[in-house]
Amino acid sequence: MVDQLPNRGRETEMLKEMGYKGMEDLFADIPADVRFKGDLPLRGPQSEEEIIRDARRLLGSNVAMGSRPSFLGAGLYRNYVPASVFQLVTRGEFLTAYTPYQPEVSQGMLQAMWEFQTLVSELVGLPIANLSLYDGSTAAAEALTCAVRVHNRKASQPNTVYVSALTPPDKLSVMHNYCQGAEIDIRMLSHNEDGTLDLQALEQAAGSCGVYLEQPNPLGVLDEGLTAVKEIVGEHTALIVGVQPISLGVVEAPGHYGADIVVGEGQPLGSPVTGGGPLYGIFACTKPYLRLMPGRIVGRSIDVDGKEAYCLTLSTREQHIRRHRATSNICTNETLIALMGAMHMALLGPDGLRELAQRNMRACQKAKEALSETPGVRLVHDASHFNEFVIEVEGSASACLTYLDDNGIIGGFDLARWYPDKTQHLLVTTTDQTSLADIEALCAQLAMWSKHQEVTA
Amino acid sequence: MSHLFGHNGAENTGYSQPAGLDCASEPSVPKGLMRKQAAQWPRLSEPEMVRHYTWLSKRNFGIDTGFYPLGSCTMKHNPRVNEVIAQLPGIADIHPHQPEHHLQGLLSIYYEMQHMLEVCAGMDQVTLQPVAGAQGEFTAVRCIQEYFRMRGEDQRTKVIVPDSAHGTNPASAAMAGFEIVEIPSRADGRIDLDALAAVADETTAAMMITNPNTLGLFEADISAASDIVHKAGGQMYYDGANFNAILGITSPGLMGFDAVHFNLHKTFSQPHGGGGPGSGPIGVKAHLAPFLPGPLAARREPSAEERSMAVDEHWYHWHEPEHSIGKIQQWHGNAGAVIRCWAYYRRYGNGLTTMSEHAVLNANYLRHAIHREAKTAGVDHLFVDGAETDVAKHEFTLSMQPAKEAMGVSAMDVAKGLLDRGYMAPTVYFPLVVPECMMIEPTETESKDTLDTFAKHFVEVLKTDPETLHAAPVTTPVRRVDEVYAARNLCLRHPFDEA
Repeated sequence: MVDQLPNRGRETEMLKEMGYKGMEDLFADIPADVRFKGDLPLRGPQSEEEIIRDARRLLGSNVAMGSRPSFLGAGLYRNYVPASVFQLVTRGEFLTAYTPYQPEVSQGMLQAMWEFQTLVSELVGLPIANLSLYDGSTAAAEALTCAVRVHNRKASQPNTVYVSALTPPDKLSVMHNYCQGAEIDIRMLSHNEDGTLDLQALEQAAGSCGVYLEQPNPLGVLDEGLTAVKEIVGEHTALIVGVQPISLGVVEAPGHYGADIVVGEGQPLGSPVTGGGPLYGIFACTKPYLRLMPGRIVGRSIDVDGKEAYCLTLSTREQHIRRHRATSNICTNETLIALMGAMHMALLGPDGLRELAQRNMRACQKAKEALSETPGVRLVHDASHFNEFVIEVEGSASACLTYLDDNGIIGGFDLARWYPDKTQHLLVTTTDQTSLADIEALCAQLAMWSKHQEVTA
Repeated sequence: MSHLFGHNGAENTGYSQPAGLDCASEPSVPKGLMRKQAAQWPRLSEPEMVRHYTWLSKRNFGIDTGFYPLGSCTMKHNPRVNEVIAQLPGIADIHPHQPEHHLQGLLSIYYEMQHMLEVCAGMDQVTLQPVAGAQGEFTAVRCIQEYFRMRGEDQRTKVIVPDSAHGTNPASAAMAGFEIVEIPSRADGRIDLDALAAVADETTAAMMITNPNTLGLFEADISAASDIVHKAGGQMYYDGANFNAILGITSPGLMGFDAVHFNLHKTFSQPHGGGGPGSGPIGVKAHLAPFLPGPLAARREPSAEERSMAVDEHWYHWHEPEHSIGKIQQWHGNAGAVIRCWAYYRRYGNGLTTMSEHAVLNANYLRHAIHREAKTAGVDHLFVDGAETDVAKHEFTLSMQPAKEAMGVSAMDVAKGLLDRGYMAPTVYFPLVVPECMMIEPTETESKDTLDTFAKHFVEVLKTDPETLHAAPVTTPVRRVDEVYAARNLCLRHPFDEA
């Protein structure tokens, strides 16, 4: 019996008071020819205890990354999220609220999101941040359409944007879906052998509406060359930089080297990987983009007594006011996950963020050092890395991953899934959760794998 | 006031971390890329951080706080076991790129959810990829767009929406590159078939509509509308925002729709979290299925080796539709939200019909109770139904226009008066076709007593003198917020240099 219905057993009483004979009277306006016949062909209801038992069985059969050495990242990162974040975010006042349309009773979330905007703004070095888009990919895609709205009139290459050729195909596909409606042409920017951006090839992007690059790039490389990009592309081309937010504890904020828009997957700050969602997309920008940017924004205001108060502002950009002329169709966003991010950021503070970034750097460095001494493994890029790096293995990377999996290790990401010709390349990801024992296990098994390959060869 | 940026403790007052790994050589950032100035983040200890966010939470109103009759948003109770389930490592700590044999439990839940939504909506294939209702709309119109491109019907560049539609409908279609044709509703708030017939032609790609409509009325002419659009060669798109009214009673498929999105955060209780996350799966008829974004969960007979790892008699795997439009977000949808909604579905199973019956029962009862109390108190002349109807569905509208004319009391005044009595206000000024509109949706998880008490309080508000109402609310953490001031004096982040 379903236990979520307080008026079960009172139906007749309520219907009678309204002058109806039965529930059927309430549906008399639905024509017979569109009515369901019979019961829904679905399973019967379950009690809470049965549901949680099934959930534990089914979800328990999934392999949690934390249950074994895991080096899979490629855009999502397993970091530790402090316990207080989960405790606070499940407070019903946050968890069960809707969008703050009535600011007088939504001050808590509004202020928390205004603080989130400030935290993100400071993190990326830009004056304005919204209170989240769906994920890093949609934030990047909306940054491209935003750049075109802002720059199209003065651009010598109107309706054109350039993105790094390293951009993961799934993210690129999101960009295509978001850009095709406005007939925006997405062109590719090539990279050098060492993983850095080809600054000479970049010159072709000057005069376009926007350029999208990542720091660290999708292969984990920290690319100093990005600091030269804004000068090359010029003031009428938006420099959009995608970031891993934790890296900004040690890596320069893109706003300080010319970025006009910064986007990114917020997930590493505040949220577990959660099968890829819900996450939150970071979106920050400079002033010229403000009135054409997507997403909700909170402003500080006053109430009728002159008391400090917060409310949603600049709503005339949004779909519920501007309808088909809105800057984006986004309505529901990822506020609660952004709140988790804000809590994590608040708890870390500037020193904690630097320390966390350094721990991530150390795990990465340790893994690189250990793997560089592992037989049959070659580090592909001699560069500075954050979180992840590419190795070349003996034989096929895909078969190697299967071998590692058979031996209880989630070995990384097969780069052939992004770049079909890279059949021997694995993207190995470390985070603050990577232990020395994890790294040693990976190296030992990769050494075994190399040996197997030699024998077979 | 508690201000996050007022906390400036000593260095390293925050969360303490274990030492990093020892390396042979120190890791380093390229010189020109080293961060020169740290972010101006606050420094606070865990006790201070916990107190700050607890203080903030007490200045926020959720379903747990009190009755939340926000029309169109389906603010039903969020069962707590769903939160416990969503934090299990088997969902919180899995990566979408793990191999299929690591994710059999997740895949089986995806499959079950796809199937359940297909059954409830009368559609042939569901994808759980879109992460919000608006993204579901966008995804579906993109599928429709590619369907017509493949058929060589590139001239279908227009999408029809009624003037009572949610703003996301025209925004989503415009984002996909469609031209929007808005048609007026009839005086009674229902679809105008003549107006529809006048605009449906060989340039029509789709019509987007919700049913029950945004006035909470069932569009009895929906089959005729479907016929008009289909005869013109267009597709019918169902906005599932109001799905809570009809589960197990009718379905978009039975009404003639080709595509539909679901708001799992409305109908299936994913908590809305102050604005998100959501989940916006879409379902389509077979002819649109090849265009869906993947991956979809599919299943087959397991091999002998797979059998030992299977969660039931099937082997579950990901599947990419043949002519997929590609990705609309990078990963596999909001898996965490899907899991919560799966747990919610399991609670009802085939009893989902009862859920919708109670949603409609409560809406009609509340409408009845408000009229009853108003009559008793002699204030029934201060409002009228937003649309004339015998029965409403899961929500109903009232127009405060008479109160406005008689005593200068607006829908917003009434809303603020309700805040003072401990309620979340209904949706106001939407749909735009009802003057001084209040849109009220109680949901099935409110008791008769709550509805009776709310009706009494609603009438009390109407009896309040206009001056008091203009000044409301007075019991809330702040009084009426000056939105014009916010827009004219933009302050979008903490001003660090302010005294």
